[in-house]
Amino acid sequence: MSTAVADQEVALIDLVDRLLGGGVVIAGDITLAVADVDLVYVQLRALISSVATAEDKHLLPRMGSAL
Amino acid sequence: MIEVYAIADHPGPPLPDVNGVRAVPAGRIAALCAEVEQTELSPAALWAHEAVVEALMEDRDLLPVRYGTRLPDEAQVLRAVAERHDALLAALDGVRGASEVSLRVVAPADGPAPAEAAARVHEQLAGQARAATVLDAGESRDLLRAAYLVDRGGSAGFAEAVATHQRAHPDLRLLCTGPWPPYSFAER
Amino acid sequence: MTDRILHAPPDLDLFTRDQPRLDDAFPRRINADPETLERGLAQLVLTIVELLRQLMERQALRRIDGGTLSKEQVERLGHTFMELDKRMVELRDSFGLDEEDLNLNLGPLGNLL
Repeated sequence: MSTAVADQEVALIDLVDRLLGGGVVIAGDITLAVADVDLVYVQLRALISSVATAEDKHLLPRMGSAL
Repeated sequence: MIEVYAIADHPGPPLPDVNGVRAVPAGRIAALCAEVEQTELSPAALWAHEAVVEALMEDRDLLPVRYGTRLPDEAQVLRAVAERHDALLAALDGVRGASEVSLRVVAPADGPAPAEAAARVHEQLAGQARAATVLDAGESRDLLRAAYLVDRGGSAGFAEAVATHQRAHPDLRLLCTGPWPPYSFAER
Repeated sequence: MTDRILHAPPDLDLFTRDQPRLDDAFPRRINADPETLERGLAQLVLTIVELLRQLMERQALRRIDGGTLSKEQVERLGHTFMELDKRMVELRDSFGLDEEDLNLNLGPLGNLL
């Protein structure tokens, strides 16, 4: 494996951290296609961590009476 | 779709001829973007995107934009940038003349995981940078992932500092990469 | 783009061992075609619904295990979740999605479901 390719393999995680986790987010309330998917990606991460926290603290809403 | 690569000053130096990148100006900043085809997300696509951002960064300061930021037309790009003009300009001011260096710290194979030692290394390196931040290491076994904002041209010196810490810490393994555009310091 | 490594120890494999997970960490095609977009949105929405359904199921099980529910309540819970599950399958089918389609990979966070 050439040095350049090996470099890229080792640096891939750093690249992903930056491109997918960093950078400025300018597509705020765009309702179309790709930008929207990207935004939802970000929001899902926030959803997961907040749900996990809510579960731990027993803060999830109670079941309705139907249940 | 129009992919936005970065936010830069307007006016600015002429753009390199790469990927058909053009500037959409709004006040004192401009979005650097290009018409793109649908893209399958892959390492190759990410590296190609990064190549464009780095080419742009060669002769201008910029705020790299999150990957996958795509808008249907230039009018929407203009609106998105204009709406955030002052915040974007302030963020751009924060990274002028700087690039980013990355650090990953892991434990040696079959070794204990000295998280405190990693934290100390981070603190000391942070003291030598303009700014520093810890990144989310997710489910990985990394003890630490961090980013440091250093002056352009300062990454070689920073690498030496990392090498010094490596020598002082045989209980850690340090990986330092860069320079990167300042992705981790773009959002305020 | 070359010479990106500023400092590395000899045992580089320590830094690439998480790679296999990274390779299938990328989400699906980003596709702006309206038809696939609708399916894509349905996929996202149903995934969230499925996530909530699983969370509720888990909570219900905890309450059942806690022994504070009457036999009748436990029966009703069981029945409700059976119905929810059936409904999810129906919804999925109507969009031409299967179980694996409702699992988003969130990179370092792993799979959603």
